[in-house]
Amino acid sequence: MKKSYINAYASESSAGDTAALMEAIYNKQSAITIDRSYMPQNPVGLGMMEYDDFFVLLNGVVKRVLESSNLKNFSNTLLIVGSSVGGMAESESHYFRDKNYKNIDPSRHAINVIADSLKKEFAFCDARSISTACTSSANALMLAKRLIGVGAYENILVVGADALCYTTVCGFHALSVLSSKECTPFNEAREGMNVAEGIAALLVQATPQEGGVELKGAGASSDAYHMTNPDPEAKGAMASMQKALDDAAITADMIDYINAHGTGTEANDRVEALGVATLFGKTYMSSTKAITGHTLGAAGALEAIIGCEVIKRGLIPPQTALKKAENEDILLPLEAVKSDVKYVMSNSFAFGGNNTSIVLGAL
Amino acid sequence: MRVAVNIVSAKKVAAKEKIEDLDEKRIVPKMMLRRRLTRNAKIMLYLADACSFKGGKIIYGSAFGELHATVGITNAIAEGTPISPTLFQNSVYNSAPSYFSLLNEDRDEIITISSGMQTSKDALKSAALQALVSKERVLCVVSESLNIERIEEVNDCSEYLEAGAAVVLEVAEESTGAKEISVGKNETIIASVHDIFTLVDMFESGDCKVFIEL
Repeated sequence: MKKSYINAYASESSAGDTAALMEAIYNKQSAITIDRSYMPQNPVGLGMMEYDDFFVLLNGVVKRVLESSNLKNFSNTLLIVGSSVGGMAESESHYFRDKNYKNIDPSRHAINVIADSLKKEFAFCDARSISTACTSSANALMLAKRLIGVGAYENILVVGADALCYTTVCGFHALSVLSSKECTPFNEAREGMNVAEGIAALLVQATPQEGGVELKGAGASSDAYHMTNPDPEAKGAMASMQKALDDAAITADMIDYINAHGTGTEANDRVEALGVATLFGKTYMSSTKAITGHTLGAAGALEAIIGCEVIKRGLIPPQTALKKAENEDILLPLEAVKSDVKYVMSNSFAFGGNNTSIVLGAL
Repeated sequence: MRVAVNIVSAKKVAAKEKIEDLDEKRIVPKMMLRRRLTRNAKIMLYLADACSFKGGKIIYGSAFGELHATVGITNAIAEGTPISPTLFQNSVYNSAPSYFSLLNEDRDEIITISSGMQTSKDALKSAALQALVSKERVLCVVSESLNIERIEEVNDCSEYLEAGAAVVLEVAEESTGAKEISVGKNETIIASVHDIFTLVDMFESGDCKVFIEL
């Protein structure tokens, strides 16, 4: 299998672009807004971006990747999009206004609206879209790694993108997993998660470029336990992490930092902490969702970018808002830690017990 | 880059309104689980059973996902009534293969493709990649269940509101005799399932080896 490299990337989240995001992460400045616009009776913490048109922002992120890459255009690049809701926000606005479907464009409702929009702006050689809820763009990265590995493509742009919508905000509220304030992952006393929106794009290539990071491993599993609750024994989470390690041909003790899925919900954090403690012991771990909130289908790509930055900066992110960890067998740094970071793992777990882990490696 | 794959088993199903016999009671004996299944999950479980697939890697595809759940949620929000947690957990595009995973205790990886009208073509590409990398048999299944109230307000592409097709494939040891998948015009079935429908037809006609472009 050929190796694959992340040579260029760009992102937007509630914390701003990648540079602003990393500054917020290291300064422990949450970008969560306490919002009443979705549910006036129930204030919730949300990761909200500023934009007039989500698709204009999306095009801007991808344009920044192209400009920072060694490519003149995307004509020889495959696009793989990961998203959990696609064009849901637009469909909702039509339906809430009209109380019928007549003005909903089916092609702008589904997941592929993101790829279709990008294809109009940039001439990709082909495109496909993945929707496995909160693992969508992590799975897109896994597919990209495999396609480059077998020699099918030289350049693949992975895009994770999800906009806030009523369905996700009110839906997670119905599951009683939302926090009314900034989320506090891995704390003993934690209230829940913050739904968020985000856009992240990474150019994965068969040839390394200066400043690149190797996409070294990827692994996936299913819990086969419950549609929304993770397996309490963490078997599924551990399986995806172990498969990613195996794919990267490294051992658990070689991982320097784990960017946790770490949503801040009772069930997720307990299970992920158990899985990490069992597999890794005390390896540095933090959840940057304390800064961005949970960007759903975009999270895997956004947190892969954070992993690349951690490797390049040699600076392990602290766990924001940590007061007392529920599980003391994991190592959550209170402050940023200067370290020679060679390998980073990033976890993404989703509804349906869908688990994906990736390993990034320094060049 | 293209890969020659053997089609090991194949099945398709469709109905203008609702597929009547998906053999749910036999396939899903536990009533509590059966009651929670989405229409796509019932179609997917039926197709997997017909293909004798009990577990392993799955590529599932659907252009529009779980419309029934999505509509239920948006109606509840519009009317200011509580959202059913089951509807929300069923609203994700990977619900159908996740129910397969639960039912069969399948802990292998599942990927869901949603590429609009290219969904079944892209699902096949991803399944061929999976088979090539893992050297295992892969279930590739697509389904659409569009039979929601007032669907005629937006549907101008399919006479059949429920459709699904599945193949189990493996990488062929050699490409000799492999055929191209030539998708003909079919204006009655939604285009997002066309490629696998065509592949099922080819399988039933005795063409069991095809090329898939990655």
